[in-house]
Amino acid sequence: MFEGPLQRLIDELARLPGVGRKSAQRMAFHLLGVEREDALRLSSAIVDMRDQLRICSRCYNVTASEECTICRDSKRDQTVVCVVERAQDIAVIERTQEFRGRYHVLGGAISPIGGIGPSQLRIAELGKRIEDEGIMELILATNPTVEGDVTAMYIAREMKPRGVRVTRLAMGLPVGGDLDYADELTLGRALAGRSEL
Amino acid sequence: MRLAWLHLHSFRSYPALEWRPDPGVNILVGRNGAGKTNVLEAIGFLANLRSFRGAPEETLIAHNAETAVLRGEESDAQALVEVEITRKGGRRTRIGQKSIGRTSDLRSALRTVAFLPDDLDLVKGSPAGRRELLDDVATQIWPGAALDQAEFDRTLRQRNAFLKQGDRDPATLEVWDTRLAQAAAKVMGRRARAAAALEETLVESYGRIAGEETSVRFAYQSDWGGTLDPTTPASEWAKSLTGALRERRRLDFELRTTGSGPHRDDPAISLGGQGSRHQASQGEQRTLALALRLATHRAVSLQTDRLPLLLLDDVYSELDPDRSKALTDALPEAQTFVSTTRLDEVPVPGRAWQVSEGDIR
Repeated sequence: MFEGPLQRLIDELARLPGVGRKSAQRMAFHLLGVEREDALRLSSAIVDMRDQLRICSRCYNVTASEECTICRDSKRDQTVVCVVERAQDIAVIERTQEFRGRYHVLGGAISPIGGIGPSQLRIAELGKRIEDEGIMELILATNPTVEGDVTAMYIAREMKPRGVRVTRLAMGLPVGGDLDYADELTLGRALAGRSEL
Repeated sequence: MRLAWLHLHSFRSYPALEWRPDPGVNILVGRNGAGKTNVLEAIGFLANLRSFRGAPEETLIAHNAETAVLRGEESDAQALVEVEITRKGGRRTRIGQKSIGRTSDLRSALRTVAFLPDDLDLVKGSPAGRRELLDDVATQIWPGAALDQAEFDRTLRQRNAFLKQGDRDPATLEVWDTRLAQAAAKVMGRRARAAAALEETLVESYGRIAGEETSVRFAYQSDWGGTLDPTTPASEWAKSLTGALRERRRLDFELRTTGSGPHRDDPAISLGGQGSRHQASQGEQRTLALALRLATHRAVSLQTDRLPLLLLDDVYSELDPDRSKALTDALPEAQTFVSTTRLDEVPVPGRAWQVSEGDIR
């Protein structure tokens, strides 16, 4: 629809998640108007990230060195590991400032429809870490979806016999709000998963 | 519950409709293909986000348009419901200013019970129709039911996909079994309670149409667990389904599909102690079909304390004068929408509307 290079950029941008044709067009026309330096800064940021980042050899987080900053931090509790589906989930849990252990990134969740079985995930690697690192507890923070649940159940089944404590994140009410603001589904789930006082 | 007004844009045969129905009974009269059922379908869609004809969403959009918009206001709670359907399959739903992602959030704004021309299939047809009826009653009464059903469907599809892979890893199958049984137990529990709620109102509804007292039972049954008692805790069902899945494991691997679970269950209705699907007469079956819809309306009103809208799609043309009158006498005081080709066929007093060329007058 547009001259070669412009259309090429639009096509590339439109391949990004959450970006449709219209947004891609808007971004491309915006970039058309910026200084050459600004354009270079963006393009080199993309290339640098691609070239310099790699996967942490211990937890499979994204890192610029052999091991990620979390794994290298000796003040963190090495006996507790929080298991997540994707590296971006780590940032969410880190923001709570409540977790002082380390992580393990599975690389997804079990989904036969998507052709993903346990062997496509880093579950064997997790088992090896339990043996090598003296891990005492696994906190399973996979998504509260059918696939996330099944992945958590599978890991619990595999890892419990190795003598670790396995827990799953609780599901329930948003904090600080009144009960009557909670939607029925969340409240229903919270009822089903109620705990003893 | 009252629908104060309905706006349709590029919905089926309606390029642009703005209509204020009567708060009582509305009779939509028009020749075949005039668009009477489309109006009822639109009202049903605003309540359930699906077509009661089972039509795929993109077929609801007028031929020359890219998007269809449905808007309506429920006057008791002054809830404005708005749905936009696009050809790409995207759908936007809002109540007031709040956009919602889940069907279950919508149900409480507007509820409908529809009498359809094919309702005899509920009695005579395969168990699928009766399962759907129970699921529908459950979602109208309990906001969480739709999510439970979606979760079960998703888990079942995943387990079937696993069976089709031909990978016989028992550890993976075991976790799918456990998760499927958990999801299934919730669906079964809701269905059993929905069946119990329906059974309570069904005796009266049947009696009113038939003109005589008959015992009517609605039992939720499965071929692996027998009749399911609604008071059994979900964990018990999960346990017995897990057992049933384990027993069938070899067969499931062979057939590459899941052979037991709520997707195979058979909710059965009996009349005077006899099965209604094969042993009841044609007349009894017709009466029972009407009674099921009436009982649904009654059960939902009792449980939710609101009167769902009634949609009667060309129902009277199929009925003999006795049943026609009995149904009319039994109809509850809800806002009602009746479609017909002939006004004299409808014995219900109400406001008559002419439907033609994309308009209602």
